Amino acid sequence: MLGNHAVAHAALEAGLAVAAGYPGTPSSEIIEYIIDHSRETGVYVEWSSNEKVAYEVAYGAALAGAKALVSMKHVGLNVAMDPLMSSAYTGVRNSLLVITADDPGMWSSQNEQDNRWVGLHAHIPVIEPYSPQNAADLVKLSMSMSQRLNHPVLMRLVTRVSHVREPVKVCEFSKPDYAQGYLKDPSHHALVPSNARQLKGELIKRWESIQYAVEDLPHEYVNDGRVLVITSGVAYNYVKEALRDLEIPVSTLNVITPVPLPRRLIANAVSNSDKVVVVEEGDPVVEFQVKEVLYDEGIRVPVYGKAEGFFTRVGELTLMNVEEGLAKALGVELRGMRSNAQRIDVPPRPPVFCPGCPHAASFYELKITTAKAMVKPVFSGDIGCYSLGINPPFNEQDVLTNMGSSIGLGMGILRGTGGRQFIIAIIGDSTFFHAGLPALVNAVYNKAPMLVIVMDNRFTAMTGGQPSPTQVIDIAAVAKAIGVKYVYTIDPFNVKEAEATLSDALRKVKDGELALVVMKRACALEASRGRSSLIVKFTVDPDACKACGICYNLIACPAIAPLENRKAWIDPNMCVGCSVCAQVCPYNAIKPSGNAKEWLDKWAEM
Amino acid sequence: MKMNIYLTGVGGQGLITFASVLGQAALHSGLKALVAETHGLSQRGGSVDVHLRIGNVHAPLIPRGNADIIVAFELLEAFRALNYANDNTVIVVNKRLIRPPTTRAKIPSINELVSELRKMNNTVYVIDAYNEALKLGNAIFENMVMLGALYSVSDVSKFISTKAIEESIKEVIKREREENIKAFHVGMGLINTQRQ
Repeated sequence: MLGNHAVAHAALEAGLAVAAGYPGTPSSEIIEYIIDHSRETGVYVEWSSNEKVAYEVAYGAALAGAKALVSMKHVGLNVAMDPLMSSAYTGVRNSLLVITADDPGMWSSQNEQDNRWVGLHAHIPVIEPYSPQNAADLVKLSMSMSQRLNHPVLMRLVTRVSHVREPVKVCEFSKPDYAQGYLKDPSHHALVPSNARQLKGELIKRWESIQYAVEDLPHEYVNDGRVLVITSGVAYNYVKEALRDLEIPVSTLNVITPVPLPRRLIANAVSNSDKVVVVEEGDPVVEFQVKEVLYDEGIRVPVYGKAEGFFTRVGELTLMNVEEGLAKALGVELRGMRSNAQRIDVPPRPPVFCPGCPHAASFYELKITTAKAMVKPVFSGDIGCYSLGINPPFNEQDVLTNMGSSIGLGMGILRGTGGRQFIIAIIGDSTFFHAGLPALVNAVYNKAPMLVIVMDNRFTAMTGGQPSPTQVIDIAAVAKAIGVKYVYTIDPFNVKEAEATLSDALRKVKDGELALVVMKRACALEASRGRSSLIVKFTVDPDACKACGICYNLIACPAIAPLENRKAWIDPNMCVGCSVCAQVCPYNAIKPSGNAKEWLDKWAEM
Repeated sequence: MKMNIYLTGVGGQGLITFASVLGQAALHSGLKALVAETHGLSQRGGSVDVHLRIGNVHAPLIPRGNADIIVAFELLEAFRALNYANDNTVIVVNKRLIRPPTTRAKIPSINELVSELRKMNNTVYVIDAYNEALKLGNAIFENMVMLGALYSVSDVSKFISTKAIEESIKEVIKREREENIKAFHVGMGLINTQRQ
């Protein structure tokens, strides 16, 4: 069972009633799994428009007295920080389980922030599992703990728990634990300053009782020698296997709660030791706190961890770097691991747009039209599949930092250059609704002349094709209602028309106006899923092809490759019939194998 | 018992399904299995790898130089995976070259790549899984052909029966189950002919 599925299953076993989230790798499968089982269980579950809203939906449910869960990736928790901080003040009536899936190594993220810090910052206990089975066990423990303490609990997952599969014991789902009604209690639920002052005092008292309560959790302590290795979360796996490989007796203590630490347990374990090694994934969160405990207890033993340079502070733990760190800390010889680490020059294979991706067409058209219009824009990019526009041949993502940043940073660069810089902000449909909307309001309100491109592929595609509000709410109508004067909707698969419209929009921006173009065409993966019989593929006529390379060099579709003689060849197993290469071919050498219009019309219905 | 199987290929080739089938079959055979996958930025076309560890294991990732078997679904990716190889590693490689779409570099031919790979590693089995899959009617069966090939050259067969694999294919794969089982058997047959 996938780690994320184990988490979701356990929550359903524990009587989950309300779940909300926003997609983000490596967290998405939690909500997906609950959605798949919502009908049989009667759980309310939603993909919310962003993490803050998702948090509020779950938080409100828990204030009413339901068992609730909210799930997101690590950076999503930043978006939800406002309600999160408040939820510690008010507490909850039933259980509120907040799940953050961190991404050490940044496999699909812009940073590797360690959200265990958030627990210290907000006074919310953090539970950290090390495997899918352990995650399932700890979800149930977290939910009952949250209910008992009337306080939110934060579970920190990482990629190597969320996206690991192992056997997991499962039970029947329970009946969802909904509240019967909302019982008003404004002195606890309404954070006007007079109430909040009172509640801060209660929060600190509750935090003390939480510190006491975590002592009794089933932390795993094995007393076997004068060296103590303290771990939390996924690090425990690496340490267990590394110690077996190194064959030395060492005591281990794996804590379930990196925040707050079980102080008494740690002090007792350390008092049997001459040396402490802390191994953890992310920042030295446990290490710093262990040092604090030892200072308070007046215990002086060396503590070796990330802060001391024994383990890497960049990227994720591996069995190899944990073994190296442990060997160094314990002063033992590391038996050489054999590796054929010869450097081989293989061309890189960066992530690319899928065959038939509408974004590839949009970036191609944008490149052609900006060149024709002689503008040298800053392409202010955003988080989504279109981030891949950063790669050649497009090179059309110059700044790209966080969800919704395209419009905001674009406005900042515009202002910072005294209005001299031409700005094109590029944002996807899901990201537009997530955090682009307030920025667009600002662009209208503060009159920012720029071009906003909404690449509307109808799905939250990068995280696996979750639905997006665009399926219900028309982006062009929203932009018009906000007050954007020049709003266009075009199909990137209609190359000539798209280029004409983009040229027109560029002129408007040159004239000092704000223009917005919705480039609307569904994700190629979603469009072709289960419809292979409808797809009309394209082929290259080798006699007509003049080997100019425009198709394979400028669209960079993975389905088109140059042959030895530089003529184009389309892989029939990859082509999904978007027709863009046929439209850009100056020699009319690319032809459909059937009625392409019929297929493209069907595709356009999504 | 501990077996480290490192899978590498290009997004969309079905590595995760391969690992799920084999991992599930290991469970049915009473063995622990850990599968670690990394979801990169694109769903299609980028390099992907999956770590499959069977037996007495805790850590989800295979340390560099410690793969017992490398299953490469694409030739260029096989070279990238050599960091995980040691002198005893068995490599099962698909005879397929997928050109990275954005590179302008000259890429060696399939035969050049295969002979280069054989120079670097003692035990290399080259499988034409892609064309065998097409013969079965769909490139999608490529992964089960590779699984069959892996099964017949490695110690996997000592611990996991073909029956367990077939059962697991039926559980994990939703569509065209019989064809997938057939692809698995085709893959096993390919190695036998290579040995003769």
